[in-house]
Amino acid sequence: MNETEINIGQAIMDSTREVFSTMLMVELKADEPIEGQGGEVDSNITSMLGLGKDIRGMLSVHCPGEVAKDITGTFLGMEVEEIDEDVKDAIGEIANMVAGNLKVFFQKHGRDIELAIPTSVVGNSFRTSGMSGAQRVAVPFSMNGRTFLVELKYMENT
Amino acid sequence: MGKNVLLVDDSSTMRKIVGRSLRQAGIDFDNIFEAADGIEALEILEKEHIDIVLSDINMPNMDGISFLREKATRDNIKGIPVLMISTETGDDIIGEAKSLGAVGAIKKPFTPDKVNEVLGPLL
Repeated sequence: MNETEINIGQAIMDSTREVFSTMLMVELKADEPIEGQGGEVDSNITSMLGLGKDIRGMLSVHCPGEVAKDITGTFLGMEVEEIDEDVKDAIGEIANMVAGNLKVFFQKHGRDIELAIPTSVVGNSFRTSGMSGAQRVAVPFSMNGRTFLVELKYMENT
Repeated sequence: MGKNVLLVDDSSTMRKIVGRSLRQAGIDFDNIFEAADGIEALEILEKEHIDIVLSDINMPNMDGISFLREKATRDNIKGIPVLMISTETGDDIIGEAKSLGAVGAIKKPFTPDKVNEVLGPLL
């Protein structure tokens, strides 16, 4: 896919910011998109969602525990003290809505994609890998001074 | 008899958010029922008096389209209106939902104002 034709980093920024401003009333700060390796955060929860059809890939939201609890608490309007089912569900739904916005973005550029159902992984010191040969674009976001990462690994079906 | 709504979404977070958005939009229901997929939704529709259903599309076990298709075959519940609330906005899938009886669609993410704008005229 031609990066000069489709600015995926900007699309991740716009998609994520819209979800947070609309559903959480939070205006996120974003760093510059990272293409290729780099920018990993020390994640305690990662929610992933597969993309298929014209573009195969994986959209992931990587959150340190404190960020995940902050997002969930803001989302639900309640105090969240531990990474429980509510947190897994809330971060999964964030990933789902970001992917939904990306789907609209890709449709505008003539690519039809299908979305799977999000899955959340919780733990310490884990990394996710896969999709050999895929391109990677990641955007670090800051919420209340703490960083989380939205990452897209993708390859175009030919 | 008061009005009852059924929220169908595999995300418990989203069911809470939709319920909160209804209240913020000033739309009062006497009872809010919840289902995590189409199978649970059909069971509730068979047992309870429901005035309107707000349903996701992408769900495990029975998705929103299959739910609409099955509901349309049951004479006792096929007339209950269903409004889709989903990340899916493509003309093909929303068109299919409408062909199966859905009365409209709201895209996630959404604001309480949007919920009021779409749902209000249906009540």
